[in-house]
Amino acid sequence: MRPAGSRFIVVFLAAAFGALAACSVIEQGTDVLKGTGTISASQADMLKKTSETIRSTFGDIKEEEEYYIGRSVAALILARYPVLQNAALTRYINTLGQATALFSDRPEIFAGYHFLVLDTDEINALAAPGGMIFLTKGLIKRCRDEDALAVILAHEIGHVAAKHGLQSIKKSRLVDAFQLLGTTAIKAYAPDTVVKLTALFEDTLGDIVGSLVERGYDRKYEYEADEMSVKSVLRAGFDPSGLTRFLQTMVGDKSTASGKGWFKTHPTPEQRIAKAGETIKTMGTLPQLLDARTARFRQAVAGLK
Amino acid sequence: MTIHRRSFFIVGALLLVLLAMAADFVVVKIQVTAVRKTPQFFAPVIAPLKAGDRLEKISESNGWVQVKTVTGVIGWVHSSALETPKINLLAANSTMKTQASASEVALAGKGFNKQVEDSYKAKHGELNFAAVDSMLQVKIPAAEIENFLRKGRLGGLGGVK
Repeated sequence: MRPAGSRFIVVFLAAAFGALAACSVIEQGTDVLKGTGTISASQADMLKKTSETIRSTFGDIKEEEEYYIGRSVAALILARYPVLQNAALTRYINTLGQATALFSDRPEIFAGYHFLVLDTDEINALAAPGGMIFLTKGLIKRCRDEDALAVILAHEIGHVAAKHGLQSIKKSRLVDAFQLLGTTAIKAYAPDTVVKLTALFEDTLGDIVGSLVERGYDRKYEYEADEMSVKSVLRAGFDPSGLTRFLQTMVGDKSTASGKGWFKTHPTPEQRIAKAGETIKTMGTLPQLLDARTARFRQAVAGLK
Repeated sequence: MTIHRRSFFIVGALLLVLLAMAADFVVVKIQVTAVRKTPQFFAPVIAPLKAGDRLEKISESNGWVQVKTVTGVIGWVHSSALETPKINLLAANSTMKTQASASEVALAGKGFNKQVEDSYKAKHGELNFAAVDSMLQVKIPAAEIENFLRKGRLGGLGGVK
């Protein structure tokens, strides 16, 4: 049996290098220790392996990888819904959304935040990882003012900022992907690796779209996004009770829109009003609606049918 | 015990060197951003930045990081655009390189990247990536966003706060 001190060093090294992964140094360090006889060849290999498999959770997904995952999630959403062709509204939504994002917990993101209106009466809003955000014509028609729309956009930005989409990727999937990726710097993947990576990529997209469109996120993520949204719009100067005003329009809804989209994937409007209301109550004096904001909102949505 | 002491010394020295190097530098993790004169999004831009640019970290305040570029420009970048590299070995080898090395660039593009997207796209011709590309092209100039906020009396620009 190996002395306890030696085992301690191995564990200590594994933990330390786990926090500070750098292949070349780990290799040098473990080789030095192996040379002194402090650790065995197999322990040295274990340490190197620890450093190589350091990426293991959604938080280890790199900003650029998140962007590429988001692009394909967006392409899948756009395969289900047509885009509303309305350049003025698209510009307004992007101006409002990009302005709102500046007050979020993650104002800067790999390729910036982008917003698109889907041509459907379904009431829904969807955020792909990487900051590509979709909202439906049906949802916009339910909003009465800019402040309500801002808080809905902020809710979606909140999902992106907290990486809720990435959190719906199965852990085993990530472990497989990170193992396949390894740590060796390469210019391009070999064809067989691309085939395996593409299969994992496809399954990853399935996990995200399943949560986003079909099952909905865990309820706690929805409440978290609501809380993030009311706080960030308050920082911006909007009236955060725009959220509860909007949700109120969905209470007792018996229209064809109910049972789909947000109705299916979110907690009930009553539950969300109660939760968000508690947060809003603690905010003191709220900003008032401003005619100039409501007027430009009405102008932007005037052509919606 | 002598071997153990020596091992601890080696491990400790390694960690100290790594931590010392990691503490002072940050790397841009988004496509493009800028060094600004003051810690505000609409402050004047004093240096453009792109993914992989390495900066010396001076201080941090309310989500903004004060940095120094390789050319000596000192200003502010929002923390959400930056990451702290776990290790700065490449910088250490050449006394603070500011351009990402070839291997770093290759590493940055690893994982789910354009090559994987292209392969996925080839399997799914029905997906509308052209619509995604045109969505990503909509970028509102900073001056327009600032004007939008001002007219809406938002963001402290119009006095609502």
